[in-house]
Amino acid sequence: MASITLDNVGKVYPGDTRAVGDVNIEIADGEFIVLVGPSGCGKSTLLRMVAGLESITDGEIHIGERVVNQIEPADRDIAMVFQNYALYPHMSVRQNLAYGLKNRGTPKAEIERRVNDAAEILQIGQYLDRKPRALSGGQRQRVAMGRAIVREPAAFLFDEPLSNLDAKLRVTMRLEIKQLQKRLRTTSIYVTHDQLEAMTLADRLVVLNGGRVEQIGTPLELYRRPASTFVAGFIGSPAMNLIPSRAVPNLPGTAHADTIGIRPEDLSVTEDGPIEMNVSAVEELGAQRLIHGQTGGEAITITYPSDAPLAETLRLGFDRKNLHLFDSKSGARIDKAR
Amino acid sequence: MIENRPGLNILAHVTLILGVVVVAMPVWVAFVASTHTATDFSSGTIPMWPGPHLVENYRTMLDTGLSTSGTPPVGQMMVNSMIMALSIAIGKICISMLSAFAIVYFRFPFRGLAFWCIFITLMLPVEVRIVPSFQVVADLGLLNSYAGLSLPLIASATATFLFRQVFLTIPDELTEAARIDGAGPMKFFRDILLPLSRTNMAALFVILFIYGWNQYIWPLLITTEPQYYTIVAGIKRMADVVDGLPKWHLVMATAIMAMLPPVAVVIGMQRLFVKGLVETEK
Repeated sequence: MASITLDNVGKVYPGDTRAVGDVNIEIADGEFIVLVGPSGCGKSTLLRMVAGLESITDGEIHIGERVVNQIEPADRDIAMVFQNYALYPHMSVRQNLAYGLKNRGTPKAEIERRVNDAAEILQIGQYLDRKPRALSGGQRQRVAMGRAIVREPAAFLFDEPLSNLDAKLRVTMRLEIKQLQKRLRTTSIYVTHDQLEAMTLADRLVVLNGGRVEQIGTPLELYRRPASTFVAGFIGSPAMNLIPSRAVPNLPGTAHADTIGIRPEDLSVTEDGPIEMNVSAVEELGAQRLIHGQTGGEAITITYPSDAPLAETLRLGFDRKNLHLFDSKSGARIDKAR
Repeated sequence: MIENRPGLNILAHVTLILGVVVVAMPVWVAFVASTHTATDFSSGTIPMWPGPHLVENYRTMLDTGLSTSGTPPVGQMMVNSMIMALSIAIGKICISMLSAFAIVYFRFPFRGLAFWCIFITLMLPVEVRIVPSFQVVADLGLLNSYAGLSLPLIASATATFLFRQVFLTIPDELTEAARIDGAGPMKFFRDILLPLSRTNMAALFVILFIYGWNQYIWPLLITTEPQYYTIVAGIKRMADVVDGLPKWHLVMATAIMAMLPPVAVVIGMQRLFVKGLVETEK
């Protein structure tokens, strides 16, 4: 196990295309870090740079004490779980798990022990002699994780491992990955575009946008104090309402900011609320409903208990401490204290 | 077909049967001819049913061969053909697999040029380059040798192209997983690529074995000693008599025997062959 440090890491592809720039992340030993962002934000590139599958054009990556920039993937002491599992189709599950160890010259008895241990942890014992094609998606995913576990590496790298599974299985596997990581205490970097997956798994989240780090923090820090409009809109579901302050005039305390953000769950319906909303659509979620509407020509969404009465026009109120203020040009957060 | 009209079915079957007859007829004639004596055959009417001399004719060819044409017994020529066909098939598979491996997985200067150079040799089959090839083989002192029979035919653009397509269907993630698992290039080739292209190799082997076995003009040109005669070239020499009539009954017996190994290869590897050509999932 080891800490991982990314020091001013950048990636420029031939032809001056910058995929990743100036990334600084310190990952503590045993920490579960999730890289999250929309597609094309450079999160997979960053992970592949840690893995050694992409060259590093700027900065340094340390795994433990070593600078790994010039070290082959196999010698970086990492294990990777791929989106499409990348199991060797012609090998049995047992051979798949053992292949990396065999290449490293691990003694037979030791391979046997580790494979059996991993199989037990992941409950794939009865499939050990099957070929991957005879397994379901969830089972294949377990085998792919088993292949990472048997290596007992310094770090696990996950590249969107759950995106090929159906929604229900994804939730189960998500929890299993979390429990597994807590049990093994192996430093992990996990890439996903799904903010819910990111929130539930991460010790700390790294939100990436356009190849740059927008914010690093625990899921709750990011939820409570997003550093920019991008993070505010990306973290949390349904997304935070970001409204130009001119659409809601005479809102107290917003004079110095031109974008105000408020989460749908922080808005409540009150008789004398300062915001007036014209309801345009309602989505039923069961326990609650999402109400979409307009205020001053801008879209706004609130969550609302499903048994509460509806009207064409609602007046909305909120608690002052739940208000987020942003500068619309830079997108940066403006602290109220200032 | 979606339509279900009996008339169409009958028509389809008649067409198929006609096709089979057209293909099978010469083989049948050859077989019938190999069971008669020389006089039966040169009397003017070609018999359509097998005669009583089957064992006798085949034994003659297997034991002594046709001494008048200078060809050795069939067994010797079959062995020569087998050596040639196997070296060509196996050699082609080895070389083209390695070159496809280089072209697909390694970044080196002029990679594209290398690929197109290989591809362009498709336009230069043996028949086109036969004179220069003969010159080279003669200069190397390879006339009348197994190496001379097979080496000039081993390079193959078709097979290289086929393996390239196979390798391109293997997902990048698999290559990356192998890299992380500590497999170097040759280990990756042996442990991952070889087993994954097993069926393609089988399909190619069938095609190339038959290609090698049926080589006619090349062996005819470079072998002058009977001990290196191949069966296909040997048949030609048997039929080539200057004075008198060719011994058709014996020639046909040889032809029938010459057909057996390719047939055996096709039947034996049929399942793998079809799988290799049809299978796309990796």
